[in-house]
This record gives sequence, structure tokens and C-alpha cells, in this order.
Amino acid sequence: MKELEKTKRLSIAAVISILVVLIGLLSYKRPKMVYEVNTANTLEKITDATTNYLVSLNDLNSDYVLVDVRNQYGYERGHLENAINVDASELLEDNNLEIFESIKNDGKTALLYGKTPHEAIPPYMLLLQLGFDNVKILTVENSYQKNKLITNNVTVENSVADINAFIQESIKKANAEPKVEPKKVVAPKQIIPVKKKKKMPVEGGC
Amino acid sequence: MFNRNLAKISSYRYPIIAAILLILAGGLVLLPKYEKQKGLNPKELLNKAISPERYMSTDKLADIIINQDPSYILVDVRDEESYSKYTLPNAVNIPLNKLLSEDYIAYLNQDQFDVVLFSNDNFYADQAWILCNRLKYKNLHVLKGGINEWYKTIINPSVPEEDMTAQDFELYNTRKAASMYFGVVYPEQVKTEAKPVPKTSAPKQIIPVKKKKKMPVEGGC
Repeated sequence: MKELEKTKRLSIAAVISILVVLIGLLSYKRPKMVYEVNTANTLEKITDATTNYLVSLNDLNSDYVLVDVRNQYGYERGHLENAINVDASELLEDNNLEIFESIKNDGKTALLYGKTPHEAIPPYMLLLQLGFDNVKILTVENSYQKNKLITNNVTVENSVADINAFIQESIKKANAEPKVEPKKVVAPKQIIPVKKKKKMPVEGGC
Repeated sequence: MFNRNLAKISSYRYPIIAAILLILAGGLVLLPKYEKQKGLNPKELLNKAISPERYMSTDKLADIIINQDPSYILVDVRDEESYSKYTLPNAVNIPLNKLLSEDYIAYLNQDQFDVVLFSNDNFYADQAWILCNRLKYKNLHVLKGGINEWYKTIINPSVPEEDMTAQDFELYNTRKAASMYFGVVYPEQVKTEAKPVPKTSAPKQIIPVKKKKKMPVEGGC
């Protein structure tokens, strides 16, 4: 009898432990947002020369869905045609992620743009890491003129000047310049005599 | 009858329990999928990435370089070719595609130095910043506007217009002094050494003009 009681207790304990594990598994909530791509793969994606994720204004076609990542105020003041507004700071709200999900399901590409291409980087990087590989950046700069939206193409990471050459040039110029300088001193002289002539007749009248 | 059945099942109880536990253990195999979740969670990362806190102005950076602040490391994330062409003084080159390689981790993942990332503008640097921040690297900054802004403000500062405020002129003078530090030579620099004479002669010629003005006035009255 004692023997039976012992085994009963044992099996009860086993059943309880299994139940605990089961409940744990069932209540295990999948985190709402999961990075689907790790950092190394993301880095590969953004540096891979074959996948160009930058789109210029001239390459727009119907496969792209324009997404304005500026705030609502900027969007309402003026936005590109057919663009939808997803404020960058609300990117991870459920309904906004659903928008990107539906774009993905339609087989289209979301094209992000902001005031500058840089404004589109955070949303782009986030979406990429969350597994949306159908996202690109429209390289435009938006400004307003008389409340009208002006959109210009820009090139990112374009080097505007060769700084070394500029410094060399400045040294060269500085050494050649002194000859030109004395001429500047002559110029004010020519202005002063004009003033003299004006005042002279007035005083003579008195 | 019932008792006998129970006894039969209970004689198998250990294998049964073992089997159930094994199945549950098998279920654990599904879990490691979420291991990728490690790192800053997406919401926090987005908030940090949107805030302009990470940006450092070119003026501040120039100040840091000129004062030779030892607590800063400059990291050039452009490719090697651009790096060899021109870079900021004492910058380390970590091309964006090698950002996470083992060789460079010591520069980025530490908390002793402040790291300033820069590229031609701040596009690549921002991307690098976001990736590193997901990995929770600390003390990272981005040079606002990158090398292009550096050129526009420090190396070749635009001369302020006459009607601009004194602050603008002051800023221009600091920037000009900074650009001299970085090797740019201005014509005045040479002039002050070589031509002090014409400067003194010029005001002399103006003074007699004033005298002449006053003379006729007195005579007229």
C-alpha cells in the first residue's frame, strides 16, 4: 500500500511538471517585432553593389509605392503624387507595418522619401532588418517655395570638392596674390575726389 | 478489471513520461529562432535613430581636432580610395562593408573613447551608426554633413555678407583660423608679412582729403 502511494505521488509530480511546461509553451508569446535579418546580413545588403536601393526621380514607375516619412504637417503641406504618409516616428505602429505588409504582398516596392534622403535612412534600415526587402529610398530633396513643394534629385555620398586640391590651390594663390592687392588700395582713392566735388559747390553758394 | 488496466498502464508510466518530455524537449528546437532578437529592440532603435542627438557639428569637431582631444577617435567609413585621397587628421579607415569585421570591433565596441563616424555626407555614417547601435555599441557620433560640410564650413568658409550679424563674422573668423590650421593659406597671410608699407601709405592719402573739406566750410561762413 505504501509502495502504491509513493508511485502515485511520483506520477502526480510528473504530470504537474509536464503541465507547467505545456502552459509555459502555450503562453510563450512571440515578440511582436522580430528582427528577421541580423546585422551582418543587413550590412551585406546595404553595401552590395548589385542591389541598388537608391532610386532617382526619373526612374519612378508603377511598381513603386511612394511613402512619405515626414510628419503629417509636412505631408499635408505638399507631397508627391500618390504618396502615402507614414511618419517615421510611428513606423512601428501595427497599422503602419500592415501597410508595408500589404505592399509586400502586392509584389510592389515601397519607396521612402523625406525632406532629404537622410531622413529616410532610419525607417529604411529598420524595415530592412525587420525583413522587408522590398524597400528602397528615393533620393530627392524636398523644399517649399511659396507653399509649393519643390522636389529635386540629389546624389548621396557625392564628394563636392577635392579638399587636397583646394588647399594646394590656396597656397599657390596666396603666393601669387600680393601683386594684385595694391590695386585695391587705389580704388578708394578714386571715390573720395567725387565727394569733394559735390560738397564744394554747395559751400560756395553760402 | 479497472485496477488491472491501471496497473498495466502504470507499469509503462516511466517510458510514457520520458516520451512526453522528449517531445516537449523537441519543441525547444523551435525557440532558438528568436535568438536573433538580441540587440536593441526595434522601437528603441527607431527612436534613437530618429533623434538628431548623434550628430556633431563640423565646428565642434574642428575644435576637438585642434585641441587634440585624446578622447575622440575619428572613423572614416568611406572606401579606401576616398580615404587615401583625403581624410580628416588621424582618422581610421573602416570601410562600411567591413564595419562588423573582427579587425575593427575594438574601435567601435568600447566605452573609453568617443567615436565620430563620417563619410562624404552623412548617409553611410548614419547607416553604420544604426547598425552599431543595434549591437549596443556606445559613444558613437556622426559628423553632420560629413566631409562635404567640412569643406563648406571649415576648409572653405563662405565670407559673411555686410549686413550679417557680428556672430556670423566671429564664426567666420574662427572657421578661417581653423582652416589655416588645416593647411589652407589665405592671401592676407602672405601680405601681412610682405607688404606693411602700402597699408600705412594708404590712410595718409585719405587724411589730406578731409582737411580740404573743412577748409572751404569755414571760408564759406
